[in-house]
Amino acid sequence: MATVTFDSATRMYPKADRPAVDNLDLEIGDGEFLVLVGPSGCGKSTSLRMLAGLEEIDAGSIRIGDRDVSDAPPKDRDIAMVFQNYALYPHMTVEQNMGFALKIAGVAKDEIGRRVAEAAKILDLEDYLLRRPKALSGGQRQRVAMGRAIVRNPQVFLMDEPLSNLDAKLRVQTRTQIAALQRRLAVTTVYVTHDQVEAMTMGDRVAVLRDGVLQQCDTPGALYERPANTFVAGFIGSPAMNVVTGPAVDGGVRLAGAVLPVPREKLARAAAGTGRVTVGFRPESLETAPPGEGVPVVVNVVEQLGSDAFLYATLGADDDGDVLHTADVVVRTEPRTAAAVGETVHLRVREDCLHVFDPVTQLRVD
Amino acid sequence: MTTLASAPQETVSVAGPVATPRRRRGRRAGKVTAAGPLTYVLLGLTALVSVFPLYWTAVAASKTNAELAGTPPPFLPDADLFTNIGRAMEEAPIGLAIVNSVVVSSCITVGTVLCSTLAGFAFAKLRFRGNGALLALVVGTMMVPTQLAIIPLFILIAELQWVDHLQAVVLPTLVSAFGVFFMRQFLSQALPDELLEAARVDGASTLRTFWSVVVPVARPAMAVLAMLTFLTAWNDFFWPIIALTTDNPTVQVALAGLGGGYVPDTAVIMAGTLIGTLPVLVVFVVLGKQIVGGIMQGAVKG
Repeated sequence: MATVTFDSATRMYPKADRPAVDNLDLEIGDGEFLVLVGPSGCGKSTSLRMLAGLEEIDAGSIRIGDRDVSDAPPKDRDIAMVFQNYALYPHMTVEQNMGFALKIAGVAKDEIGRRVAEAAKILDLEDYLLRRPKALSGGQRQRVAMGRAIVRNPQVFLMDEPLSNLDAKLRVQTRTQIAALQRRLAVTTVYVTHDQVEAMTMGDRVAVLRDGVLQQCDTPGALYERPANTFVAGFIGSPAMNVVTGPAVDGGVRLAGAVLPVPREKLARAAAGTGRVTVGFRPESLETAPPGEGVPVVVNVVEQLGSDAFLYATLGADDDGDVLHTADVVVRTEPRTAAAVGETVHLRVREDCLHVFDPVTQLRVD
Repeated sequence: MTTLASAPQETVSVAGPVATPRRRRGRRAGKVTAAGPLTYVLLGLTALVSVFPLYWTAVAASKTNAELAGTPPPFLPDADLFTNIGRAMEEAPIGLAIVNSVVVSSCITVGTVLCSTLAGFAFAKLRFRGNGALLALVVGTMMVPTQLAIIPLFILIAELQWVDHLQAVVLPTLVSAFGVFFMRQFLSQALPDELLEAARVDGASTLRTFWSVVVPVARPAMAVLAMLTFLTAWNDFFWPIIALTTDNPTVQVALAGLGGGYVPDTAVIMAGTLIGTLPVLVVFVVLGKQIVGGIMQGAVKG
C-alpha cells in the first residue's frame, strides 16, 4: 500500500496549445479511494495515464510512496489498471487473462493458480475460468478486468471509467461492489469517471478537473456543501445547482424584480468592483413563497418522478431591464402540490443554503 | 398456438416461451439476407467455372496426345493417368522439383509473414520518428517493377556463387512491401491500443507483447498473407528460371522443360501440372480454416 503524490505534474500533447493536465497537485492517502471527475476532455484520463506510465510527464513529478516514478516504465510502478473497455486478451481464457502479469513476472505456476482462484472467488468468476472473453457478458468481462488487477496485489489500483460500458442497473450494482471491494482490500485507488453520481457515491475524496486544471479536491459532502467555484457548483449535484447573476442591491441580489436576500458581508465582497453578484441555489433548497414574497419564475416543464417533482422554470428579465438575460431555474417540489405549466411560482431559498460567488473570478465568497 | 403451448411449460423451463418468438423474429429478419434458389444457381455456376480447368487438367492428364487432339475434345477421364505421370517424372525431376518448391515456398512464406507482421506492427502501433516517411518508402517500392531489378540481382547472386542454389530464390523475397502494408492496415484496425497498454501495465516487453498479444490477434491476417505468399512463391516462374537450372528446379521451372519436342506432349504436361498443383491445394485446405477468424470478438467492447 502506498500514497500517491502528483507534484505540479503537467502533460502537454505535441501540437496542443494548452496542457492537457496543468500543474496538477494532488495527495492521495494510503488506502484512499480518490475519484477524478470532470467533463470529457478535462484531463482526468490523462492524469490517470500519467500515473500509470502510459503518458509522459512534461513537467513536475509523480510519486508512489516515497519513490519518484515520473520516468519509470509502467511495469516498475507496481500498479494495476482497469480499462474502460476492459482490454482483455481475446485469445486467452479468463484464467490466463488474470494470470498473465504474474506469468511474466515469473511467479511459480501453483502460486499463480492459487492467486487466480482466490480472486475468482472474490469476484464470483469461478465457473468461468476456462472461458474466453467473447463468451462472457459485459458484467463478467468487467469483473475479469477487476480480477486481473486484484491478482497482482499492487500498491495502487487505477480505474479508467470501468463502469461506462455496463447498462444502468448493472452499473449501480457494480458501483457498490467495487467500493466495498476497495474498502476490503484497502488498496489506494484512483478512479476516473465523468459521472458525478459515481464520484459522489464511491470516493473518499473527489477531485474535480476542468480543462486540465484541478478545481477542487474534497470529500463528497464538502463538494456539495461548499463548492469552491461556480464550475464545481454546477457539476456536482443532479439536477445541477442554479447559478444566476444579478445586480447587488441593499440586502441582496435583485432577480426578476424581486430581491433575494444575501448576507451583508458576502454581498459586499462579491459585489465589490462590478456591483453585481453571482448566487447559486440547489433545486432542493428552494421553497415556494406566497405571492409578493420571493422571486417569481414561470414554469415551463414539470417532471414527475414519483418521489419528487422537478419544475423547469424561467427566471424573467428584470423590469427595468437591468438584469440581462433570462435564466433557467430547476426547482424540486412535492409531487402532489407541483405547479402547472405556465403558472408563475414565487421562490425563496432556505436559510444557509445560498452560495455566493464573485461574478468575475467565479470563486466562492464566504 | 404459441401461447397455448408455452403456458404449461412456464414452470418447467424458462427457455420454452422465450425461444419461440425469438426464432420467429429470426426468420422474419433473416428474409433480407437468406439465400434464394437464384443465389445457389449462380454460386453453383461460378464454382463449376472455377473448378472446370482443374478437372480438365485431370482429364487431359489421363489421355494420350492423340485422343486430346480429337474433336470434340474428351470430357471424361481415362486410365492412362499414372502412365502419363510416370512419363512426366521421367522427363523432368518433378519429385525433386516439388521438394524444392515446398522448401522455397515455405521459407519465403515463413519469412514474409514473420517480417511483415513485425514491421506491420511497428508501423501500425509503435511511435517512432520517421514512421510515416518510412512507410511511404516501403509502399513506394511496390511501384518498382521486378524486371528492373533482375539483372543487378543476377549479378549479385552470381558473385555469391549461388546460381542453381535454392537460397538464390528464397533470399530476395523474404519480405514483401505488400505484406508489410497489409499487416499494418490490419493491425491498425484490429488491434486496440488498450490491449497493448494492458500488456505494458502487466509488465510485458515489446517483444513479449508481440508474441503474446499481437500475433494471436493478427493470426487471421497472417493466414491470408501466408496463403497469398505461398501461392505467389509456388507459381513464380520468372526469377526461378533465371536463378535455377533444370537440374535443380522448382515446379514451374521443371514444368517448363516438360513435353518438349517436335510436337508438345500435352498429356504429359498436364500430368506434370496436376501433381505440381496438389501441394497448393493442401495448403488451401489447411489455412482456409484459419482465415475464418472471429478471434477478436469480445476483446474490447466498442
